[in-house]
Amino acid sequence: MKARTPQSRLPNPDFPSVCLYFQVHQPYRLKDLRISDVGSMDLQYFDTDKNRAIFRKVAEKCYLPTNALLLELLHAHPHFKIAFSISGVFLDQCKEYGEDVLESFRKLGETGQVEFLAETYYHSLSCLTSLREFLEQVSLHVRTIEKCFGTTPKVLRNTELIYRNELAQIARLMGFSGILSEGADRILGDRSANQLFAPPDFKVSLKDQRTIRSFRPFNKAQRDIRILLKNYRLSDDVAFRFSDKSWIGFPLTAERFTDWLMGSGGFTTNLFMDYETFGEHQWADTGIFDFLRALPRIWQERGILARTPSETIDAWNQSKQPTPCYDAHEFLSWADQERDLSAWQGNRIQTAALAAIHALEKPVRKSEDPRMIDAWRKLQTSDHFYYMCTKYWSDGDVHKYFSPYDSPYEAYRRFSHALCDLRQMLEERQTPES
Amino acid sequence: MSLHSLMFGWEYPPLHLGGLGVACQGLVQGLLRNGVKITLVLPHANKNAEREVTVLTTDDASATTLSVPSMLQPYDTHGSYDIRVGNISREDCDIYGGDIAGAIEKYTAASVDISKNIAPSVVHCHDWMTYGAGIRAARHHRVPLITHIHATELDRTNFQPNRWIYGFEKRGFEAADRIIAVSQYTKNVLTEHYGIAPEKIAVVHNGTSEHLTPQAGLGMHSRHGAKDHPMVLFLGRLVLQKGPKQFLDMAKIIHRRRPEVQFCVAGDGDMLPEMISYAVEQGLHTCVLFTGKVGSREVSALYNRAACFVMPSLSEPFGLVALEAAAHGTPVVLSKQSGVREVLDHSFQVDFWDTEKMADCVLTILREKPLALQLRSEASRAVTHLTWQHQAEVVRSIYENLIRT
Repeated sequence: MKARTPQSRLPNPDFPSVCLYFQVHQPYRLKDLRISDVGSMDLQYFDTDKNRAIFRKVAEKCYLPTNALLLELLHAHPHFKIAFSISGVFLDQCKEYGEDVLESFRKLGETGQVEFLAETYYHSLSCLTSLREFLEQVSLHVRTIEKCFGTTPKVLRNTELIYRNELAQIARLMGFSGILSEGADRILGDRSANQLFAPPDFKVSLKDQRTIRSFRPFNKAQRDIRILLKNYRLSDDVAFRFSDKSWIGFPLTAERFTDWLMGSGGFTTNLFMDYETFGEHQWADTGIFDFLRALPRIWQERGILARTPSETIDAWNQSKQPTPCYDAHEFLSWADQERDLSAWQGNRIQTAALAAIHALEKPVRKSEDPRMIDAWRKLQTSDHFYYMCTKYWSDGDVHKYFSPYDSPYEAYRRFSHALCDLRQMLEERQTPES
Repeated sequence: MSLHSLMFGWEYPPLHLGGLGVACQGLVQGLLRNGVKITLVLPHANKNAEREVTVLTTDDASATTLSVPSMLQPYDTHGSYDIRVGNISREDCDIYGGDIAGAIEKYTAASVDISKNIAPSVVHCHDWMTYGAGIRAARHHRVPLITHIHATELDRTNFQPNRWIYGFEKRGFEAADRIIAVSQYTKNVLTEHYGIAPEKIAVVHNGTSEHLTPQAGLGMHSRHGAKDHPMVLFLGRLVLQKGPKQFLDMAKIIHRRRPEVQFCVAGDGDMLPEMISYAVEQGLHTCVLFTGKVGSREVSALYNRAACFVMPSLSEPFGLVALEAAAHGTPVVLSKQSGVREVLDHSFQVDFWDTEKMADCVLTILREKPLALQLRSEASRAVTHLTWQHQAEVVRSIYENLIRT
C-alpha cells in the first residue's frame, strides 16, 4: 500500500484500524439415533447431555473467562471496540445450559463498545437452498439480537463467511449496510484485503426481490453495501498458528503481532475468528489470554484504532476513497485451504443430506407446528454437514478434531435417521387430510 | 551390498484359508520389486514334492524357494493338527511329527538345516510356528532377526491362550531385533499382554494384492436397482475369533425389520455345525446361507453380489478380507477391535459386541443409496493406495536400519 503523509495526532492514519469480530456458535449435536426409533422419536433428535457438557466445558474454558477479560479491557480502554456474531442456536443453548454466559455477553453489550452482527439464526446453509428460508432465519436472528441486547444489527455475516456477489445484493436489499466475507487470494489478485469493497452490480430477479420484500428484517433496502474482507493471514496467525511450535512466528507476542498489523498497511485490518480461539482452540496455557490482554494497551500506545464493522464502514464512506469491486461469482467461505463450499458440500453424503433437508421445506412449513419447524431448522445447522466431510480426513485434520462423532459416516447415519423420522411424522399428519 | 532376506513363511493358499499366506506372498513380491533378494522356506506336506516350488508369480532369479516336509498349516492348534495326522501312516508321523510340538521341532530343525549354507543379511519369520526356526537361523548366520506378527494366540482364543503357544510367541518377540506388527491394534496387544517394549515394534499394515485392485468401473455399478434381494456377507473361518455368532445376532435384528434381506456366511471352521443350528434356532433358516469353504473366484463373486460386508471379529490383528471387500467396492462394517480399521476410514466401525448398532449401520447402508455409493467408491479408491510394493519399501528400510546398527 502507498504510504500516506504522517500526521502528528493520534490515531495515526499511517496505520490501518483494526476490526475484530468473533464468531460465537455451538450446534445441537445428534443423539445415537437408531432405525428402530424412526417414527417414535417425537423430535428428540439432539443429545442434551452431550450438548450441555460441551457447552459447559467451553463456557468454563472460553466464554466466561474471555468475556470477563474483554469486559475489563473495554472498561480500561474506552476506544477499544469489538464485534460478535452470536448464532441463534447458541443463544438457545445459553437459555438451556448457561444463563451466566448470556449475562456475560449482555454486560459486554452494555459497554456500548460492542457491535452485534446478524446471521442465520440456525447457523445454516439456507443461502444455498432457499432464499425464503434464509430471509426468515436472518430476520428471526435480528429480532432475537434486538431482544437480547437491545441493539439492531446492521451488518450481515453469513454462516462460515459463505459469500458470493448475489448474496451481497440480497443483503443490501434486506437493509444491511455491510457484509463480511473471506479475503480470498483468487479474487483479490494482487490487491490488499485491507480496504472496503463493493459487489458488482447484480440484478436480483423480480421474483426474488418480491420474496426479499416479504421476509426481510428491515423495511428499507440500502442504496450501497460495503464488504469487509477477512485478512486471513493475520487472523489465522492467532486462530490457528498461535501455539504451533513449528511455525516461524512462534512464540507470537502482542508486540510482534502489532508490528505485523502496522506493517500490513491499508485502511483496516479485519481480524475475523471463532471466539473459541480463546481458551478452547488455544488453551489458556499457550498464553492466548495474556496475548489478548496486552493488545488494546499496545494499540493505544501506537495509535492504532479499533473499530467495529459499522464504524469501519462509516469511516470508509467518509474518507471518500473510491471503493474497489470484489467480484465473487462462485461461492467462497473461510473454511480450509480451498475456501469454498467443499467442507459442507464436498461429497455425496453431504449433498444428499442437504438436498433431503431442503426437500422437507414445504411440508414442514405447511405443518405450522413450531416444534417441528424448530427441529427441522436445527438440522440445518452447517456443523451437521461439516461432520460428514471426508476431504483429507485420513490425515486426521481439523474436521476430525471438531467432530463429536466417530466418523463422517456415523454423522450421516444419525442425521439420516432424524430426517426419516421427521419425514414419517409429516407423512402421518398429512394422510388423514388426503 | 544387496539385501538378502531369509524368510520363514507360508504358502499362498489355493483355498481361502485366511490372510497369512496371502500376506506372505504379497510381501515377498513387494520386497522383490524393492530389490531385496529372498530365500523363502515353506512347510510342504508332500515329501516327494520338488524342492523348488513355484508359489511366486515371478520368474525373478532373486527369489529362491526351499520347501521343508511338514504338515503344519497356518492357524494350527494342538487339536487341528492331531485331526490331520490322525489319517497318516506311522512312517509319515516320524517324518512330520506326531503332534504339534513334534511337528514344530522337526520343521524347525529341517528349516534351519536346509538354509544353513546361504548367506542372508536378515532373517524374517512369520507367526509363532516359524519363530523357533527364525531364532536358530539368525543365531547361526549371526544376522538380525525380524519376527513378523500377523495374529497372536490371544486374538485366536478370545484372550484365553494356550500357555505353551503364548510362551513360544513371547520367546520369539523377545529374541527379535525388531518386530513387525500388522497394525497398531496388534502392537498394543504386544505391549499390553506380552510386555514388549513399544520401541521395538514397527507397524506395517498389510497391502492389497494386485488381483484385488478393482477394475475400472467395477465399484460403480449399482446393486440397488437390482430386483433381487440385498445380501449381507460374512467371510472368514468359522471360529470364535471371527465372530460368526455376532453376525447371526445382527442378522436377526435386520431380519425383523427387513425380512427380504439375505445373509451369506462364507467359510468353513469348527463352529459351522453350531452356527447352522443357531441360525435355525433364531428363525433365520429362510434367509441365511452357509456356503462352506469357498475358492477365490467364488469369493470375488460374493463380494460383487453383496450390498454390505460385515466383519464382526472379536479381535482381528488386521482383517485382509475387509480390504478385499472394499477393493471390490462393497460397503464395509467393521469391528472396532481390528487393525484394518486403521487403514479403512471409509467404513462403519462398531464394537463387536454391539450387534444392535452393527445392524443399524447395515440397515442405514441398505436404505441410503448415496451413502452406499460413497462407501463403495471412496473405500475402493483408498485401498488402491495401499500396495504391497509400498509396504515392502517400509520393510526394506527396517532391514537397512537393522544392518546398519
